Amino acid sequence: MPKLTVNGKEIEVPAGTNLIEAARTAGVEVPHYCYHPGLSIAGQCRLCMVDIDKVPRPQIACNTVVAEGMVVETETPRVKDTRRSMMEFHLINHPLDCPVCDQAGECWLQIYYMKHGLYDPRMTDEKVHKPKAVPLGPHVILDAERCILCSRCVRFCDEITGTGELGIFQRGDHSEIGLFPGTALENAYSGNVIDICPVGALTDRDFRFQVRVWYLDTTKSICNGCARGCNIEIHTNKHRTHHNQGKRVARLKPRFNAEVNQWWLCDAGRYGFRWIDDDSRLTAPSIRTDGQMVETTWDDALGALAAALGRYRPEEIGVLASPQMSNEDLWALRRLLDGLGVVNRDFAVPPREPGEDDKLLIRADKNPNTRGATLLGLAPGAGGLDAGGILDAAAQKKVKCLWVLHHDLTASGFAAARVTAALEGAEIVVFQGTTASLTSARAALVLPSAAYAETDGTFTNFQGRVQRFRAAMPPLGEAEADWRVFGRLRARLPRVAADSALGAERPEQVFAALAAAVPAFTGLSYRTLGDTGQMVKA
Amino acid sequence: MAEKILTKNFDLRDSHTLRVYREAGGYRAWDKARGMEPAAITEEVKKSNLRGLGGAGFPTGVKWGFIPKGSTAPKYLVVNADEGEPGTFKDRYILERDPHALIEGMLIAARAIDSRVGFVYIRGEYVQPWRIFSAAVKEAYDAGLLGAAVPGGGFDIVIHRGAGAYICGEETGLISSLEGKKGWPKLKPPFPAIKGAFGQPTIVNNVETLVCLPHILTRGAEWFAGLGTKTQGGTRLYSVSGHVVRPGVVEAPVSVTLRQLIYEHCGGIRGGRALKAVVPGGASAAILTPDEIDIPMDVDGPKSKGSMIGSAGVIVMDDTVSIPDALMVVARFYAHESCGQCTPCRESTGWIYKMSHRIVEGKGRKEDLDNILDVAKRGAGTTICAFYDGAVGPYISYIEKFRDEFEALIRSGAHA
Amino acid sequence: MADPRNPRFTDQQLAEVRRLQGLYPDKRGALLPVLHMAQDNFGYISLEIEAYVGTLFDLSAAHVHEVVTFYTMYFQQPKGRHVVAVCHNLSCHLMGAKDIIERCKTALGVAPGETTKDGKVTLLTVECLCACEQAPMMQVDDRYEGLLTPDKVDGILRGLA
Repeated sequence: MPKLTVNGKEIEVPAGTNLIEAARTAGVEVPHYCYHPGLSIAGQCRLCMVDIDKVPRPQIACNTVVAEGMVVETETPRVKDTRRSMMEFHLINHPLDCPVCDQAGECWLQIYYMKHGLYDPRMTDEKVHKPKAVPLGPHVILDAERCILCSRCVRFCDEITGTGELGIFQRGDHSEIGLFPGTALENAYSGNVIDICPVGALTDRDFRFQVRVWYLDTTKSICNGCARGCNIEIHTNKHRTHHNQGKRVARLKPRFNAEVNQWWLCDAGRYGFRWIDDDSRLTAPSIRTDGQMVETTWDDALGALAAALGRYRPEEIGVLASPQMSNEDLWALRRLLDGLGVVNRDFAVPPREPGEDDKLLIRADKNPNTRGATLLGLAPGAGGLDAGGILDAAAQKKVKCLWVLHHDLTASGFAAARVTAALEGAEIVVFQGTTASLTSARAALVLPSAAYAETDGTFTNFQGRVQRFRAAMPPLGEAEADWRVFGRLRARLPRVAADSALGAERPEQVFAALAAAVPAFTGLSYRTLGDTGQMVKA
Repeated sequence: MAEKILTKNFDLRDSHTLRVYREAGGYRAWDKARGMEPAAITEEVKKSNLRGLGGAGFPTGVKWGFIPKGSTAPKYLVVNADEGEPGTFKDRYILERDPHALIEGMLIAARAIDSRVGFVYIRGEYVQPWRIFSAAVKEAYDAGLLGAAVPGGGFDIVIHRGAGAYICGEETGLISSLEGKKGWPKLKPPFPAIKGAFGQPTIVNNVETLVCLPHILTRGAEWFAGLGTKTQGGTRLYSVSGHVVRPGVVEAPVSVTLRQLIYEHCGGIRGGRALKAVVPGGASAAILTPDEIDIPMDVDGPKSKGSMIGSAGVIVMDDTVSIPDALMVVARFYAHESCGQCTPCRESTGWIYKMSHRIVEGKGRKEDLDNILDVAKRGAGTTICAFYDGAVGPYISYIEKFRDEFEALIRSGAHA
Repeated sequence: MADPRNPRFTDQQLAEVRRLQGLYPDKRGALLPVLHMAQDNFGYISLEIEAYVGTLFDLSAAHVHEVVTFYTMYFQQPKGRHVVAVCHNLSCHLMGAKDIIERCKTALGVAPGETTKDGKVTLLTVECLCACEQAPMMQVDDRYEGLLTPDKVDGILRGLA
């Protein structure tokens, strides 16, 4: 492996590494626009110039591969002056849109100007004018004047999605990013161009004008849209509640994970967060009284649930768990059901529309924790009914207590009549979930769940990777994490009162308990999972 | 009068035909080359001191030598007939009047670099030259000079018309255009000899460079080298235009001086006027003043005055010329032809044109001159290709050498 | 002339497209020649033609559009029966291109970039055509006309059918 020196520090990197990445390993950031580690080299912005010993002129770092004995300097007066020149070139025609541009605060023209520019502008001629505020597709809007023509978006559509919608038309300073007239940027990953655009040329229609980015908090999490579990950040607005229509979650961004989603996030995942702050969220426990759902306390609700579970024989209870639930939720439920002897349990409810794996990130299975549900034993116990069997048994009044977690059965792949028969046949329907639905409307007891964004926990993706997600904000209203609810039932159910796994105060403890008990999770802990997760044992 | 070598066929009737070319001695060099080892051909060309005649002036034999030894990849010979440097027209003359010389030169070069396919990139506007050259290629195929019948594996010529972009004269811009893309120059490394057209080892040679080859092979490298100066051999074709009495193509040994070209070969300044300025090597070359014209017009002469021989396009300006006006025309050219790929060139060529235009419209400001100079100096050497450096040549030299004229115009607020 | 709004090459033309594609190691190399062919056939290159040509090359329409908008010789709007392109670069400028351009504007009644109302002539100003020894000069369709004077220009323009 070649050894070289960067700013006086000796490093050793694999052959073929470019100088931007090499410098990074030395803790040195080389400013750049067009370079992106997930895309081909463009070498267009000319910002990443560095000085290399014995080379007369500064060279771009992105297209220079390390060589044994190379001596690289990134902070010489000449490199600094070159950067200042490059910043001026970039800003010659750039419109002074900062006050109205969403990118402000995370704009790499702003950031690098403050760090490497700080010159007095002298361009007083008319700037080149190009189309502004042009929607390109459902999610992306273009301001061609702001564009610095780094071509990242064009390369993304060519190299990652293979859809080639974007091009750079014309030439010289009239060059313009755009679509072929009459087409749209509609591929399933269109939102990624917003992330990779260093400036406010490609911005998010969903996020447009909602809230300034410096008011946002960032939390590491995992997308719950499918079984891949793309690593994300949840950006919340808690400081300016009069912005973003008072909604807490402002947007989702992908987080790099080489093994799972690299730098990318699909549009369905990126924009699949509106439900978290929607009015349809269940925020208080409620009990059906005289035909009406009446809000009640957790105490009363849990009392009712415990009574129901105690009233029926185990074979008269059917539980539809959900692969939307975390490992912690599922493990605590498993302990509860094992303690009660309930074997009629399942998590696999067929979707109305079967999905499809694509060649990139999207999985047919739109649940984040099917693998976890499988490994943690939420499939039917010995002699127990599966999901369809539970529904039919409820219709036949053999299952009398139907406990549905998260699923809206009326929107599932089960026939409407089958679902109706089940919901009408059961003596008591308990719904526990985040969001009101036609199923929750048929329940006698509704328990509000915290959303994944409101609690810490883990999902196990389709590859078997266990990944942590973290609470970006407290649960809405009185919603509670499911594992916590199961734990609170413990006190009311003599058969599980002694189960310490249900007595956890923190999700970390629930995970520790399941890691100790389930061979696939042996040795894993929140600490070892870190930010990129770990594979379950074979 | 020096011997006509490159132009010896130009005035022959039907000089573009195979019959006339052969009668004048054509294709005998190719006969000799067929019996030579490729490496021997390259050695001869190195010894001849032949330098690229398209603009960069790189030693041709050395360039050929960059093809990786023992490479089994297909190697492409690409002919740069995208003549576009303002003030240059000599390749057009070759295509129209001596196309078979180019074909013969291609055959020799192809043998040297082990190429089976030659792509000739002709600028789209050159319709008549294209037709004439295409007819000559057909003649060559019919005569078995091209195609599978060529000993050593055969050689094909593919003629590719451009579609209007000066940047396609830059060797990697040309390659991109040949590949069916915008004429965006490519990052170097990798260099074309390693990874060029369609990802394969490629040599790009100018038309005129190639037509020197038959003469080098028939009369010897030493003879060719001896015609010129220590660092550059042979004669070359100077395109002279502007305010001279007899504009046109002038063949002369590369030791000819600029003064001789203007006053002896082209009849001096028209109307008996005085010389004010002269561009020695196409618009991209820094301008020279009358006291700077006693230089040999080889790769080193103009360089000694801070300019370059480039494409040897000599543009002569008499004392009626407004230099600020000339700068505006040239700045407009660079703004129009910038491909837009990299930031310094894309953004500043347009801005500098705006400033130069304002100056000739009487709306110049005193800070404009220093702004143009400073921006140009900051961009020089930072771009993907040398196009911008070609723009910087005139930007800086016109202003630095004629600063008084610019300042007077700005002060007066008059139109140029 | 074939319909640029509903473009289709004939079988013979398609065979020529394939032949051109076969000349290059990657068929994309034939894109510029095929666009020239399309322009000769349809008169100019409409968006529909761009999309159609894209299908012949497995290229997105956006990438064909990039090429068409980059090069000056591809017309994206219908052009006149004749194209008169006057050089306004340095040598021609020194030798009086401005007067030539003015005479063209007067004689044709259009500004550079425009086409006469009767569809006969599109007037353009262009960069160096590399015929500086004949400056001032212009390109009229396929041929160069040089050593121009305003009167000579009148004669040339009158002679266009």
